[in-house]
Amino acid sequence: MTLDLTATAVFVALFLFVTWLGFVAARWRKADLNLLHEWGLGGRRFGTVVTWFLLGGDLYTAYTFIAVPALVYGKGAMGFFAVPYTILIYPILYIVFPRLWEVTRARGHVTAADFVRDRFGSRLLALAFALTGIVATMPYIALQIVGMEVVIGALGFPAGGFVGHLPLIISFIILAAFTYTSGLRAPALIAIVKDTLIFITVFAALVIIPAELGGYRAIFASVPQEKLLLSPPSGDSLGAYSAYATLALGSAFALFLYPHAMTGILSSSSGNVIRRNAAFLAAYSFILGLIALLGYMAIAAGVDKYPAYQAGFAQYGPNFAVPALFLASFPSWFVGVAFAAIAIGALVPAAIMSIACANLFTRNLYKEFFRPDCSEADEARMAKIVSLVVKIGAVVFILAIPQSYAIQLQLLGGIWIIQLLPPILLGLYARHFNAAALLIGWAAGTIIGTYMAATQNFISSVYPLEVFGVALPGYAALYSLLINFLIALALAPLFDRIGRTTGSISR
Amino acid sequence: MANGTKKARLLRYWPRLLFLVPFVAMLFVSSYNRLAPELGGIPFFYWYQLAWILLGAAIVLVVYAIETKVTRVTERTEREAEPSGVPGDIL
Repeated sequence: MTLDLTATAVFVALFLFVTWLGFVAARWRKADLNLLHEWGLGGRRFGTVVTWFLLGGDLYTAYTFIAVPALVYGKGAMGFFAVPYTILIYPILYIVFPRLWEVTRARGHVTAADFVRDRFGSRLLALAFALTGIVATMPYIALQIVGMEVVIGALGFPAGGFVGHLPLIISFIILAAFTYTSGLRAPALIAIVKDTLIFITVFAALVIIPAELGGYRAIFASVPQEKLLLSPPSGDSLGAYSAYATLALGSAFALFLYPHAMTGILSSSSGNVIRRNAAFLAAYSFILGLIALLGYMAIAAGVDKYPAYQAGFAQYGPNFAVPALFLASFPSWFVGVAFAAIAIGALVPAAIMSIACANLFTRNLYKEFFRPDCSEADEARMAKIVSLVVKIGAVVFILAIPQSYAIQLQLLGGIWIIQLLPPILLGLYARHFNAAALLIGWAAGTIIGTYMAATQNFISSVYPLEVFGVALPGYAALYSLLINFLIALALAPLFDRIGRTTGSISR
Repeated sequence: MANGTKKARLLRYWPRLLFLVPFVAMLFVSSYNRLAPELGGIPFFYWYQLAWILLGAAIVLVVYAIETKVTRVTERTEREAEPSGVPGDIL
C-alpha cells in the first residue's frame, strides 16, 4: 500500500489540533493541578454535558469501534452481544453509582480502593482492589494502541520496524505530555472533538455506504445465512443463547468497575449528573450498534477480495475490515477524518486509563504502604510520573509482545475486574460485612475465573458449565462472580461469630 | 424508626422496578433470535435490539423523572454539589 497523502494530511491536521487542545486544557476551569483530585478527577466539577462526552469517550473506545464490527464481520450475530450489553449497563449505572459518588465525595476518596479501605478498614482488600484495577487496565491501554496501529497502517504507513512504529510512538509521547500537564481535563476536552468526529463519520457511513451497496436488504442478503442468527439450543446444550445472555450481563456488571470508568464517574459534579447520563449515554450505544453493522457492510462490499487490502488483512486480521470499508467507500479527505476519529478515540481512553492507574498506584500503594505522610503535592507529582510510566509500559508491551497476548490479557481483565463487585455492592448497601470473607471470595473468584479461561486456552471466555447434565456455555466472569458472592456470603457470618470481625466504619 | 424509613424508602424507589424490564427482554434471547419481521431490510434480531437501546434510555428517563418529582433529589443533591457556589451544573 502506498501512503495516502490527502488522508494523511487531514489526519495529521486533526491530530495537531487535539494536541493543542490537550495542553490548553490545563487552563480550563483553572485550579491547582498539584492536588490529586484536581489533576486526576478534574476537581469533581464536570456537569452533565462534559461528563457525557468524557464517559462516552472513555467507554466507547477506539478498540471498541474497531473490534466490535470486526467481531460481527468474523462471527456474525454473536458479535452483536455488545448491544444488549450496553443496554444493561445503564440501569446499573443509575442505581449503584450516584450512591457511590456521594460517599466518595463526602469522604474524599479518589479511587474505588479508597472507598473499600475506608468502608471495611482492610488494607489487604484495598490492595487487592488496586492491583486488580491496575492489572486489568494495562492490557486495555495496550489495545487502544492496537486500534491506533490499524488506522495508521491503513493510511499506508509501512508496517513493522522502527519507522513503522514511529507514528505510534510520537502520538503516545504527545499523549503522555498533555496528560502530565493537564490531567483529566485534557481527555475531557479532547473527547468533545473526538465524539463530534465519530458522529460525523458514522452518520456519513450510514448514508453513503448502504446507498453504494444497494440498501440494507442487499447488505443482509450477502451475509452467509448461518451468521445472521445465533445457533439455537440443541439437545442438552443451551448453546449460543446462554453464551450471548451471560456475555451481555457479565460485561455490563464489569464495565463500571474498571478504574477508568470509575474515574469518569467520580469526576462528575453530582449524583444527578450520573443519573441523567444513564439515560443520555444510550446515544453512544446506538452509535455502537450501528457501527457493529459496519461489519456486515464490509462483508457485502467484499473488502477482503480487493487486492489492495490483502496486506492489511494479513497484518491485522478482521480488525482491518472497517478501515478497509472506509478506504473503499469514502473520498481520501474523509478517510482522513474517519481515521483521525478512531485514533483520537484511542487517545481519550488511554489518557483516562493511565490517570486511573496512576490514582490507584499513588493512593493505594505508594501512600498506603510506602509514604503514609506524603504531602498532597507529593501525591499529585507521583501520580503524574506513574501516568507516564503506565503509557510507556503499554507501548513497550504492544511493540515487544505478540498482539494476541494483549487480547487474551484483556479477556482475563474482564474476569478479574468483575470480582470487585461484591465489596462495592455490599459496601454500599450492607450495614456491616466481614472484610476477610470478601477477600477470600475475591481470591476464589479470581482463581476460578482464570482457571475457566485457561481451560479454553485463553482464546474464549465462554466456559461450558454443566448443570445436571445440561451444558450452559456462559461468560466465565459471571460464573466466577457467582462463586465469589456465594463464598463471601457463606463465610461472613462464620467469621463474625469467630470474632475475627474487622472493624467496619459507620456511615 | 427503622421500620418507618424502610417503608418510605420502598415507596421512594418503586419506579426502579421498571429496570427489570430491559433485563428480562434482553436476557430472553430466544424471543428475538429470528429474522422476520424485518424493518427496512434489517432482520428482526438487529432492529429489535437497536430499538431496545432507545426503549432502555426512555425507561431510565421515566424513572429519573418520577424520582426527582417524588423525592426532590435534584434540589437536594445539587445543593450538596455546589458548596463553593460555582454555578453551572450543566456544563
